[in-house]
Parts: sequence; structure tokens; C-alpha cells
Amino acid sequence: MTHTLHRKGTVENLSDDYVLLCIPAKGINEEGSPAKLQEFLRIAWGHNPVNIGSIVLGNMYSAEPETIMANAREVAHAVFVDPQTVAEVLKELKEAELGMSVVVSGLFKAVSECCHKAGLKRHTVNYSLGIWGKTEKLPSEEVLEVTTMCGHGMVSSSLVNFLAEEVKKGRKSAEDAAKEMAKQCVCGIFNPTRAAKLLTAMAAK
Amino acid sequence: MRIDSETCIACELCLPYCPMGAISMDDVAVIDQEECVDCGVCLRSGVCPSDCFIEEAAPWPRSLRATFSNPLTVHKETRIAGRGTEEMKTNEVTGRFKRGWAGLGVEFGRPGIGTRFRDVDKVAQALAKAGVEFEPMNPVTRLMVDQSTGKINDEVLNEKVLSAIIECRFPLEKAPAVLGALKEAAKEIDTVFSVDFINRVEPDDSVPAERILTEIGIPPSINGKNNVGLGRPLAEGGD
Ligand code: SF4
Ligand code: SF4
Repeated sequence: MTHTLHRKGTVENLSDDYVLLCIPAKGINEEGSPAKLQEFLRIAWGHNPVNIGSIVLGNMYSAEPETIMANAREVAHAVFVDPQTVAEVLKELKEAELGMSVVVSGLFKAVSECCHKAGLKRHTVNYSLGIWGKTEKLPSEEVLEVTTMCGHGMVSSSLVNFLAEEVKKGRKSAEDAAKEMAKQCVCGIFNPTRAAKLLTAMAAK
Repeated sequence: MRIDSETCIACELCLPYCPMGAISMDDVAVIDQEECVDCGVCLRSGVCPSDCFIEEAAPWPRSLRATFSNPLTVHKETRIAGRGTEEMKTNEVTGRFKRGWAGLGVEFGRPGIGTRFRDVDKVAQALAKAGVEFEPMNPVTRLMVDQSTGKINDEVLNEKVLSAIIECRFPLEKAPAVLGALKEAAKEIDTVFSVDFINRVEPDDSVPAERILTEIGIPPSINGKNNVGLGRPLAEGGD
């Protein structure tokens, strides 16, 4: 379950893409964890995330945010677009002492600085070493930058191409197209703000 | 997944949604059952104006397609929805990856290509030869008939899934040999895989794996996952 890893992009276009995940350890600190995950989401919600979600319940574009915050179990996610906010959320999470594990996905340098500001130290990291094997089967890099924001692969490359074309023809705004893609990502880790920018760039070609 | 041919109005709205490109048009829309991975995206998207998509529980071994491809399906053995385990996400609590050790995730079919288990089998056997320890709670490990060889149950080899992850660990100094074996095995498969590499962060915020990976010409990514150490209770050595 490494669904927030492998988000493709450049330093520039990943600078507005940070995913926070909150999870209990099965069989260790699971007891009472749903309320803690819900508290995590409420803290995150206070900082204007561009997406929240929890598996089974869906994300804020496919379900009511209040329903997600009130019922999250197993795992919870929130997406932010700037490191300053991430640092503030981490500080609040530290003070809340939920005892749940929190993982931040984003540019390593920026996340390390966020941790420093929040008085936290990174414990373990997970790097992407890229895509290996028959890479000739992959779609273009610009399509991958969008599709890899759903680590479960629920946003198809054909949907990205189709919606970029809709944006180009003026039938849909980039924001609405990005929200339609975000709906497919059940965990709520898709970043529609970044996707709208990437789609706008695709449509301009 | 099936499409009800009686109610399909051939509007083609569903076509772009399928990650496997398994839906095509005949007189009405049809799903290529060989290529469909039962991920449920078409149904959940709600795009069909005639509610044509029909999801039915499949018998073994096809049942694996949904458990590996539909994130809303929970693996019975691990109680985890999706394809893998908690890996490093709860490492400060579980102590799964200690200092001096590395974790490796090999995510077949990702991003967006899909994989047959026969490709997973080839790579798992190569990794076993390189001396890795497979993660016992991982759903792919559960499909191995012998964890010492990495051999996967023959019954499932032709099943196609959106993605499946091999998870394993080894002492960090073995990284060049393990990644070398992985590189060779990558030449033998008909799909792609994304590679995850897990390592503990030192008290000064440095990561020992960075130097090793750079030295062997596989530079780590600029972005990735950071466990920020908030889980409690801490595992022994999980400072
Ligand atoms: S279940 Fe998934 S793979 Fe099968 S037709 Fe629907 S979207 Fe495509
Ligand atoms: S969206 Fe529904 S009605 Fe339209 S082609 Fe697909 S299955 Fe048929």
C-alpha cells in the first residue's frame, strides 16, 4: 500500500503537492483508532486541504466531507498545496498526541523542513527508484504526472487525454475536469489543484 | 465486470474511464474479460446513464483480480484494503525496518499498465535467489508455494491485475546485489514495475541509503514518503 509514492513530476510542479496520511498499526494501537483518525481529518480540515478521504468512504469530491470526517476508519488522507500549511498541520498533530502514525509524501527537502518547523524528526523514508521493465508501454510523461496522483491507478491515461481534449475544446474548465478525475481516486490522495494546472498546460499545446 | 447488452445505449461515455482499455464498442459496449482486472472503476465512476455495469463475485483464481485491483476489496489474510501492507507507514510502532536494513517494494503493473502473475513470479524467484526476506503479511507472499524460492502458485499465473506488490527486506549492504538482480529480471517481463526503497533516517536527518543508491547509479527520487514518527507506543529501537 504505497499509493502516495511514485508521484511523477519536476521540482517545480511538485512544489504544490503534499499528501498526509494517518494510520494505526494493526494489532498494536488499533483500539480506539477511528476516533483518532477522525480527529486527524478535523485538524487537517481546519487548514483548507484540497482533498480529504478515507478508503471505503471516498473523497471530498465523491462524498460529503462531514461524512468522511465522522466515519473514517483504517486510514485517513489529506492533501495540501504548500509546505507552510503542512508544517502548521504537523505542529497541531504533534500537540494533539493522537499516537497514530503520520506519513507525509512530497518533495523530501520541503518535508524535512516542515518537520523541523513542527519540532519533528523524520523516522523512516520510502524513495521511488522509478519505473523499470517495458517502459515503452507507458503513456507520455505529462499524462503520468496526472495519473500517478492516484497510486491505485484509478485515473486512467485515456481519461486524462479525453479530459485534456475537453478542456482544449472549451467544453469543460480545467478545474471541473480535475475534479472529475479526483472522484475516481477513492482514497482522496489526488490533488485536483495540481491536476488543473497540468491539464491547462496539456490543453494549451 | 459485465455490461448488460440489453440496456446499453452505446453512448461510449464509459470508454475513457477504464484503466485497462478493456471496454470497446461493438453494437453496444463490451468488456474484454481477458483484459478486465475487475477494478470497478467503470461502475464507481457513475458515468453510465443506463446503469449497465454488473459486478459479480468471481470464482478462484479470477477472484484475485478484484482483491488486487479494486482498492475497496480487503485481503482476507492481511485485513488490509489494497495491495500491500503498512510497510514503513507504521515503522516507528512496528519496528519492521531497523537501522542497517532496507525495505524493497516492487509494484508490478504500476503505473496503469497492469500485470499477469507470471511476471510477478519471474521477479520473485530472482529476488529469492538474491537472498531477500519476503514480507509474510503481504498478499503476494501468500500466493507463493515456497517462500525460499519465491515460486508463485501455478494456478494464478495467468491472472491479470492492475497491480501487485512484492515486499521484502534485506541488510542495506546487500542493496547493490538485490537491485542488480532486479535489473536483470526487469528485462524478462512484459510489463513495468515501480520500485520503492525504504530506509531508516539517522538522528542527523540523513539517510544511509542515499549514498549507496547514488553510488550504484540508481539515484533516489526527489519526492517520496516520510514517516514523521508520531505513532505510539514506539517499537524497541524506534526512537
Ligand atoms: S472493472 Fe476495471 S478493468 Fe474491468 S472494464 Fe471496468 S474499469 Fe475496465
Ligand atoms: S456508458 Fe453505459 S450505456 Fe454508455 S456505452 Fe458505456 S455501458 Fe453502454
